[in-house]
Amino acid sequence: MSPFFKKSNPNTDQTLRYLESKIVNEHKNKPISGSLEDNIQLLKNIFEKDLDYSFRRFELFNQIPSAIIYFQSLVDKEKINQDIIKLLQEHRMVEENKDKIPQYIIENVLYYNDTTTVKDMSKIISAIMQGKAVVFIDGCLEALELDVLQLEKRSIDEPDTERAVRGPRDGFIEQLSINISLLRYRLPIPEFRVEETEVGVRTKTKVAVCYIEDIANPALVEEVKQRIDAIEIDGILDSGYIEQMIEDNPKSPFPQVINTERPTKVVGNLLEGRVAILMNGSPSALVVPVTFSQFYQATEDYNEHWVISSFVRIFRIIALVFSLTFSSIYITFISFHPELIPAKYVVAATSGRHSIPFPVMFEVLMMELSMEVLREASVRMPQQVGGALSIVGVLVVGQAAVQAGFVSPITVVIIGMSTIGSFAVPSYNAANTFRMLRFALILLAGTLGLLGIAIGLMVVVNHMLSLRSFGVPYIAPYAPLNIKALKDSIVRAPFYQLKKRPQNIYPQDQTRMGEMVEDHTDYNFLEERKREKR
Amino acid sequence: MKHTDFISSIQVAGIIASTIIGVPLMVLPRFIVAEVGEAAILASVVGLILSSISLIAITELGKKYKEYTIIGCNRLLLGKYIGNLLNVLIIVSMMIVMGLEVRQFAEVLASGLLPNTPIEFSIIIMIFLCTLAGFRNVSTFAYIHFFYLPFLLIPMVFLLFSIKDLETYHLLPVFGHELSLFQFMKGAFLMMAAITNYFVVAMLIPYIKDHENCVKNGIWGLFLGGLAILFCIVMTLGVFGVQELELLYWPVLSLSRIIQIPGEVLSRIDAIILITWIFAVFTTLFSHYFVAVRGTAEIFRTDKFNLISTIMVPFIYVIALIPDNIYEIYDYWINTAFFVLIIYIALPIGLLIIGRIRKRVRVQ
Repeated sequence: MSPFFKKSNPNTDQTLRYLESKIVNEHKNKPISGSLEDNIQLLKNIFEKDLDYSFRRFELFNQIPSAIIYFQSLVDKEKINQDIIKLLQEHRMVEENKDKIPQYIIENVLYYNDTTTVKDMSKIISAIMQGKAVVFIDGCLEALELDVLQLEKRSIDEPDTERAVRGPRDGFIEQLSINISLLRYRLPIPEFRVEETEVGVRTKTKVAVCYIEDIANPALVEEVKQRIDAIEIDGILDSGYIEQMIEDNPKSPFPQVINTERPTKVVGNLLEGRVAILMNGSPSALVVPVTFSQFYQATEDYNEHWVISSFVRIFRIIALVFSLTFSSIYITFISFHPELIPAKYVVAATSGRHSIPFPVMFEVLMMELSMEVLREASVRMPQQVGGALSIVGVLVVGQAAVQAGFVSPITVVIIGMSTIGSFAVPSYNAANTFRMLRFALILLAGTLGLLGIAIGLMVVVNHMLSLRSFGVPYIAPYAPLNIKALKDSIVRAPFYQLKKRPQNIYPQDQTRMGEMVEDHTDYNFLEERKREKR
Repeated sequence: MKHTDFISSIQVAGIIASTIIGVPLMVLPRFIVAEVGEAAILASVVGLILSSISLIAITELGKKYKEYTIIGCNRLLLGKYIGNLLNVLIIVSMMIVMGLEVRQFAEVLASGLLPNTPIEFSIIIMIFLCTLAGFRNVSTFAYIHFFYLPFLLIPMVFLLFSIKDLETYHLLPVFGHELSLFQFMKGAFLMMAAITNYFVVAMLIPYIKDHENCVKNGIWGLFLGGLAILFCIVMTLGVFGVQELELLYWPVLSLSRIIQIPGEVLSRIDAIILITWIFAVFTTLFSHYFVAVRGTAEIFRTDKFNLISTIMVPFIYVIALIPDNIYEIYDYWINTAFFVLIIYIALPIGLLIIGRIRKRVRVQ
């Protein structure tokens, strides 16, 4: 439980003082009092009004007045009764020196393993808040601190946001210790490091940085730690907070950190030499550094045969491009360059439009807006009314709008395709970015035609090319071009082609696999055995 | 973890190729053919070879003064005053070239893609696009060029579909009809002026990782870009012939209009070719702008690239609007091209010679 690195400059806390807890500050470096009553009174003054604050007096070894203090809501009462108070009361004292009592208790009385001694009052206050029980002993300048934290947990089930047909079904939950155990049992090696620190002056959230020591680049690990250390905030409620504070370009709409709820995905990335950041209270882990190509890749790709996964990946990319450009290209074709549409199709493409009062851009924009509203509504709505929503969506946005002459049937088809396209992308946040940029492209296409699309796409591409995620170029391996790394980008090459880890993150250990198992036979050797037997 | 701002010589080759493929692509076949007739192909090959002089001079200069850009070299070898005078000259000529090219771009666009949009609009939007791309990061500059390069070669694939209309007798005789050497060299000079625009390499010298391979890879890049343009010349000349080609204002655009791709996916592909040409124009303009902005920043020894590029926008815009019509644009363009060619070729060679003389003087 020791923080892994000291805050880079402890003296600069001056400006931050308002964020720190006043009560803890007051008691900083203040030793506890020798009198039991004084200590109880002090804590009582602070926590008097709290519903779940409780303390219980008892006589240690049946002779020394003592008290145990804890928060009911955070602790396992059974443990306190059975494993702590019972033992402390029933044991008969051998040690005479009062100062040595706490050490004696740890060594000879309690068999409870998360036990330490503390002297500092401010530490005691923070410890109680974090679900520990503190035992004060009259006349003793040390108190016992016992970790009896117990929180309600939900079960480990498949994450809703990242579904996979094939692959492990477990997902992260909110408790950090359990998430780490999910990683640990997959990586039973001494090189797997989990370093811990606290972020958030008020929430004191535990944040763990995980990496494999002999694969991850030490400079990368150092940079991640530094950036996490530099966070100054009162509290973080989800790993999204950390993501936004450590990303390289906070102004960019593109996701620069992967978030995932699947332990396998994290382990896969750790094995490539990346660093994962887990946080207490959030089921999504962060992985850095990223390249854009990771957002259309899924862990499933590695589980299926490489031909199949390459095929699927290509379709994902097409879906991504569709979701960005399809509606704007439609606008330019209809309103600026009808000559591009093949002659046989011109009538079909434009005849549906004769009764539409609006320009195509307005029509498409309206439809896109209603699709966005529908999508947002379906996320926020309780599941029981979800069915009603889809009926409304189909009827109103689809058929009725066409029949009422608001939109042409082809527009509905186009919007449908671009919307579906954005849902086919495995990464939710990358899909969101493209959905947002789509609106900008629609406006450009409606005003400047093909020039608008070209300019819009160039702005997007130039921006993506200028992005770096922890120093790694965002569009790698396309720019800078790395022919070897292209094997795991649009397509996924078979495993025997992927002997090296991705080069753009400069892992320490580059080889990840040996030679392929060779095919031994091209005939049915079982038959031969049978013949030999005869 | 600072990422090291280095570029490889292969990236330099990519920069050269994508800079070469640019605005003149549309009009160049007519220019050369009007000058030398059927000898256009040979003249362009000669122009291409002549153009490599500039590249070799710049890369040799880079080998000698690895830590200096051309701006720094000028100051180092010619002294503060003469050097800075030349530097200002470089930057001003870059801005003029960029202004004229962006104007050409807007004119082609107005006739080919957007007849109703005022050209001022396309001019300003293109300049802003270059400004937005940013100049802080040299590796990003290299990535942008390298990333767009495959897209710039797409039109060449489409032009291949017109090979069935190509008549071999249009291309013959290779030496043209009763051509004087002067006329021939004029055609070669036009080709040279059009493709010797990769001066930006001289601004990248301190960032190049491997100077040893730079000449070799640079020549590859030059030939890739040059061959793409040569290909366009061959196709347009072969399809239209000299007589018709002289009447077409933008032969490549006209050629793209008659191409029919099998399968009738699209009935016409000139818009697609124009789009990729917009990419090509962007990469070329971006190179010129890069020299102007980074050069100015180096003269004033600052790194406020965004401020400088924003200040330059109105100047380039005004330069772009100076010519009255398309005919004037090309008059201006030919005149500046001649002047700029001196900077491109004579300056690096001159610096190399001066460097050698100074060294000898110092040794004595």
